[in-house]
Amino acid sequence: MSPVPAAAVLAALAAVALIANRAWVVALIAGALLALCLKAPRGRRWLYLIGTLGSALSVFLLSPLVSHTGTHVIWEGPKIPVVGYLDVTSEEVAAAAIQALRLAAVGLAFAAYALLLDLDRLLQAASFARRSVLAAGLATRLVPTLERDAAGFVEALRGRGVRVEGARGRARLLSPLLAGSLERALNLAEAMEARGFGRAGRTRAPSPPWTRLDRIALAAAAVLVVGAIWL
Amino acid sequence: MAVAEVSGLTFRYPGATASALTDVSLRVEPGEVVAVLGPSGSGKSTLLRALAGLVPHFHGGRFEGRVVVADKDTRSFRPADLAGDVATLFQDPEDQVVFGRVENEVAFGLENVGTPPGEIWPRVHAALAEAGAERLAERRTETLSAGELQRVCLASVLALEPALLLLDEPTSQLDPKGAEQILDLARELGAAVLVSEQRPSLPLERCDRVLFVSDGRIAIDATRDEALDRLPAEYLPRDPRRLPVASGEGDVLCRVDDVTFAYGSQPVLERASLTLRRGEVVALTGPNGVGKTTLAKIAAGLLEPMSGSVEKQGRCCYLSQDPGRYLVKERAEDEAALAVHGDRDRARRALAEVGLAGFEDRHPRDISSGERERLALASVLVADPDVLILDEPTRGVDPPRKAELAARLRRSANRRATLVVTHDLVFAGDVADREIALETRERVHA
Repeated sequence: MSPVPAAAVLAALAAVALIANRAWVVALIAGALLALCLKAPRGRRWLYLIGTLGSALSVFLLSPLVSHTGTHVIWEGPKIPVVGYLDVTSEEVAAAAIQALRLAAVGLAFAAYALLLDLDRLLQAASFARRSVLAAGLATRLVPTLERDAAGFVEALRGRGVRVEGARGRARLLSPLLAGSLERALNLAEAMEARGFGRAGRTRAPSPPWTRLDRIALAAAAVLVVGAIWL
Repeated sequence: MAVAEVSGLTFRYPGATASALTDVSLRVEPGEVVAVLGPSGSGKSTLLRALAGLVPHFHGGRFEGRVVVADKDTRSFRPADLAGDVATLFQDPEDQVVFGRVENEVAFGLENVGTPPGEIWPRVHAALAEAGAERLAERRTETLSAGELQRVCLASVLALEPALLLLDEPTSQLDPKGAEQILDLARELGAAVLVSEQRPSLPLERCDRVLFVSDGRIAIDATRDEALDRLPAEYLPRDPRRLPVASGEGDVLCRVDDVTFAYGSQPVLERASLTLRRGEVVALTGPNGVGKTTLAKIAAGLLEPMSGSVEKQGRCCYLSQDPGRYLVKERAEDEAALAVHGDRDRARRALAEVGLAGFEDRHPRDISSGERERLALASVLVADPDVLILDEPTRGVDPPRKAELAARLRRSANRRATLVVTHDLVFAGDVADREIALETRERVHA
């Protein structure tokens, strides 16, 4: 499938997950997107999956404790200053579940976009805002680059007999990683300018024509969003 | 008519106390291949950047004189406007890649310079074929090895069919055969080529003319034959010393036995073995992608083999081929002290040993690439390891510094076992007692 209809389908699924009120619909979308993300290479997908599913789990666990809705108490906790009673009601759990599923679905839709779509072809297809799309593409590639840089730092430290352990040890690498990214960005900007980026009269390499599947996917994305709003 | 003409160019980077280039004048004729040689930090890269218009437009600074490329004065035309007439291949391929797919990466420059859409893909595929990277067209750029990426970057500049091709250490990550292919290709292009290299024998065998840059000035501008009489001895081409294969007799400090390794489903090493003894320096050589770095990392304990065994005596230190990995701390002294639990006396001695005395308080990111290489070396030598493994320690290092490094490793050879992974066969001949040549992915016993 071409990247534009594929991106449209992912965006539509994320939109439906945000709009839909039924938990099973959101769960179905999140499950389908998770299955899709699992098709990505193992080495690349873990960061996205841990980030998304970790955030969703946090929402599910914490939001019942800080919200005060519902009457069917299923757990009575202590009273905390400022926050109040840490009671958990079945209504709060249900609301937390749907919020967590929504977050998971949106996060997984982005993960599928970053992991599985050919961002280059998406950029080629963009006839407007090319600079913004290019910036988005470069930003998406930043994650694997940072991963590689972090692994390189850890390896070079291990090669000197220095162990990098725990969150504190890894946190110490944030500053050099950031500095390295800035240096890399400067080098990349120089290379791009030397290759004519920003010059007037730019042309575009021809993209392959859309297939029937691409058109069906784009129509399905539109139907999904309209259907979710209608229902 | 000259493709490029530089007249009285003096340039100083913003905030610098000294000029990077001083009163440089030269003409480059069409089709001429010019080797640009000189020590690290002498101004070679700045000269190439001036010809691309990046100096002063991208870097800022104080610019005097005139640079005209393809009839365009670089003071009036931005680098992007010069693209197509001039194309630059930079030192580090990883810092040049914009796109995730190889063919899109090569098409990027063509799109920017306004190539008619119908011509773009044929030129992309022709350039990839010329650079020996045709099979990589559909690959993701992040999955390529450094050598493969360098070929893709070369294809990106070849696709532009420039009148002036600027190559800034284009072969630093390539094995000798790959490096020769790239320079032969540059020669066959018909474009004027300026190639800066730290393995001078390669361009000296193929160039028409030599520029030797020293302290920002053109010290030698001569035809190849004249230059061979005037160049410093370290820059003259010479054949590498042939190394024996047989092992020495010292205590065995590292034994890698019958190891197999694969990255995912891609096998890299199959039943490879190596033995390192105290007192010997061993050169590990072989083409790109044959598994040299993998074997070195297994020996250093940084990778776990899928089968086979590794035994080591004493402390082992491994120097990565990327000096950018030795920039964790904010002072050079602290960086060097990391491996010795913050012992600053030892760190200062190690810095002095690699010629970085006085750099203790400098930020590792504020020093030149050659100085970073030496800081990285100091960061492992400081531990005085029993087993020292150096992965491409001469990448970007000028010939005099290579000679110094070889002498330094020879001086301390008796204290340890040393393994040097290198594409630089001349350096290998200077430093090593014996050679392990990985030629295929199968069964290496040495």
